[in-house]
Amino acid sequence: MTPAWILDLLAALMLVVAAVSAARLVMARPWRHGSVIIDTDIAHLLMAIAMAGMLASSLQTLPNTAWEVIFGVMIAWYAFRVVLDARANGVRALAGGHCAPHLVHSGAMLYMFLAMTGSGGMSGMAGMSGGSASSTLSVSDPTLAFVFALVLIGYSIWDLDQLSGRRYSLASARVPLAGVRAGVPAMAGAESMNAAFSGPSPTGAVSGTVTRSGINNDEADGSHAIGCAAAAIDGGNVAGGGVGQFLLSPAVTVGCRVTMGVVMTFMLLIAI
Amino acid sequence: MLNVFNTATCMIALLNNFFLLYRREYCAVGSSLLIVVEAFPEWLLARRKRPAGSGGAAAVCVKYPRRALMSEVAVAGRPAVWRGRLGVESQTAAVKPDVRRALQLGLAAIWLLDGVLQYQSFMYSTGFGKMLAGTASGNPSVIARPINWDATLVNHHLVLIDTIFATIQILLGLGIAFRPTVRLGLAASIPWAIGVWWFGEGLGGILNGVASPLNGAPGAVIIYALLAVLLWPADRDVSAPFAAARAVGAHVARALWLVLWLSLAYFALTPANRAPQALNGMIAGMESGEPGWLSAIDRGAASLVAHQGLAASIALSVALVVIAIGVYLPRPAAKATLVLAIVVAIVIWVVGEGFGMILAGGATDPNSGLLLVLLTLTYWPAGTVSASTGAAPVLSADAAGELV
Repeated sequence: MTPAWILDLLAALMLVVAAVSAARLVMARPWRHGSVIIDTDIAHLLMAIAMAGMLASSLQTLPNTAWEVIFGVMIAWYAFRVVLDARANGVRALAGGHCAPHLVHSGAMLYMFLAMTGSGGMSGMAGMSGGSASSTLSVSDPTLAFVFALVLIGYSIWDLDQLSGRRYSLASARVPLAGVRAGVPAMAGAESMNAAFSGPSPTGAVSGTVTRSGINNDEADGSHAIGCAAAAIDGGNVAGGGVGQFLLSPAVTVGCRVTMGVVMTFMLLIAI
Repeated sequence: MLNVFNTATCMIALLNNFFLLYRREYCAVGSSLLIVVEAFPEWLLARRKRPAGSGGAAAVCVKYPRRALMSEVAVAGRPAVWRGRLGVESQTAAVKPDVRRALQLGLAAIWLLDGVLQYQSFMYSTGFGKMLAGTASGNPSVIARPINWDATLVNHHLVLIDTIFATIQILLGLGIAFRPTVRLGLAASIPWAIGVWWFGEGLGGILNGVASPLNGAPGAVIIYALLAVLLWPADRDVSAPFAAARAVGAHVARALWLVLWLSLAYFALTPANRAPQALNGMIAGMESGEPGWLSAIDRGAASLVAHQGLAASIALSVALVVIAIGVYLPRPAAKATLVLAIVVAIVIWVVGEGFGMILAGGATDPNSGLLLVLLTLTYWPAGTVSASTGAAPVLSADAAGELV
C-alpha cells in the first residue's frame, strides 16, 4: 500500500499551491478597480484545497457534494471559455488553448469525487491516510482514470516544456502604453473583445502586443495591434513589490498547474 | 475580513463577466453588486491610511467598460486601469517544438507515467520483490544472481527503495521535459534503463526463452535507452532523413532499427511462442483484472489464434521482418512499413500487453507497445511529421538551452 507519509507530503505540497494561489489573489488586489481577477488562481486554490483534503483526511474542508458542485460549476465555466477560445482561435484551442488544461483538471477532480471509493469516511481518498498507514482508495472506472492520467501527463509535460522555453514570463504582466489612451482601460480601447495581452518574447524583448485574434493566434492581425514596439509597463504597482511581481508572473501559475497535474495523475493512477 | 471580501469580489466578478459575455441584460446588476462589494474593502483600506489617489474612490465611480473581462493576468496598475480578457495569460505564442523535441516530450511523458505507476500500492507490497525475483528464473547465473540480490534488497527496504525508484523515474521525465536539463535527463535515463532492464526485467527474457513480441520483448525499458540515444540533442547528420538519424547518423539508426525488429521476428518464432496454444494462452492470460471491454477484446483475439500458434507466429514474424527492412526502402514504401509498424505496435500494446496491464493495477510501466509507436515516429521521414509549421518560434532543445 502506498505509504501515508507520501500522501501527507503531497497534501502539504497542495497546501503550498493553495497558499501561492491565495497569495496571487491577494497580490492582485482584485477588490481594487484596475486589477484583473485571476479566475485560474481561484480554480487552483479550490482544487489544491480539495486535493489536500482527499490526500489527508485531517485536511478535509467541505463535504463531497459541495466539491462536486464546485467542480461542476468550474467545468461549465471552463467549457464556456474553451468554446470562446475555439471561436476566436480555431478548433486547436479545444486541446491546446489556455482553458483546456483547466477544463481537464476540473473534470478530473469531479471524476475523482464521483468515482472514488475508499475505506475511510470520505468516499474519496481521505480515508487512505486517516488513521491507517496506507492508501485504500480505488476508482470505479479505471479506464477513465487512465485516460485522465494520460491527458494530465500530456499537459504537464507540455507546460513544463513551454515554461522552460520561456513562453511564460517570470515577470508580471506587461502592457504597452503606446496606442492606448491615457486613463482608458486598454481593453476598452480595443475594438474587439478578443483583444489580448501578450508578454515578453522568448528572446526577452518586450513585445506587449495587444492583438485582435487572441493569445493562441500565431498571426496577429497587425492592423489591430497596439504598440508592438512600445515601452511597456509591468505590474510594478502590485502589492509586495518584487515578490508580488514574481508571484503574479504567469510562470508561477503554470508551475502550480504542472504540480497539480502531476499530483492529480498520481492520485488517479494509485487508485486504479 | 479583507480576504472574505476579496473572495466575494472574485466570485461576483466571475458572475459579472459571465453576464457581460452571455447575458448582458443582467450586467448592470452584476456591476452594481461588484461596485458595492468593492467599495467596502476600499473604505477599509482607506481607514488604514492608504495613500490618497490610489484609485479606491475611482473604483467606485468608474463604470465597467463594456468589454472589461476577467483575465488570468493581474495587472494592478495604479494610475491607469488595465483589463484583460477571458483566456489570456501574459505569455508569448506557444513555443512550438521541432519534431525531435516533440518526440523527446513523448519520451518524457512515458517516463513520468512510469514513475507515477511505481507509486502504486502493489509496488509497496512483497509482490513487487517477488516479481523482481521472478525475472531471474531461467537466466544464466551471472545474470540471475544480481537479480536475486536486488530482489532481496528491495524486500528488506521496500518503502525506501520503491520510493527512490519512483522518484528517480519521475525526475527523469521532468528532466527531459525541462529544456535546460534535457541532456542530463536523457543521459541519466540510459544507465537507469539498462539497470532496470537487468535487475527489473531480467534482460527482457531474451536469455531464458520466454521473450515474445507480445509480452514486451526485448524488454520495454531498453527501448527507453534506445530512444534516449536516438533523440539525443545533437546534430551529427544535419540532412538526416528522419529524426532518429540526427544524433547518430542514418546508417547507425537504420541498423539499430533492423536489429530491434529482426530480434522481435526471431522471438516470435521461438518454440515457446510458436506452440499451437502459445499465443492463445498468452492473450487469454491478460484478461484477469482488466475492465470488461478489454477482456472482451482479449477473449476475441485469443479465440482467433486458438490452435493457430504456428501460423500466427509466422504471420507476425513476416510482418516484423518487413518492418525491419522497411527503413531501407524508398520513401513511399518506407512510410507504408512504418504505418504497419505503428499498427503492429498498437496491436501488441492493446491485445498482447493489455496497455501494460495498467488498468488491472500493479503495472510497473506501460510496456513496449507504446514505446514502439514512439520509436516508429522517430523514423518517420523528415518533412512529413512536422510540428514546426506556423509562425510561432520553433525551438529545438539546443536552441532553447541557449535561451535559458
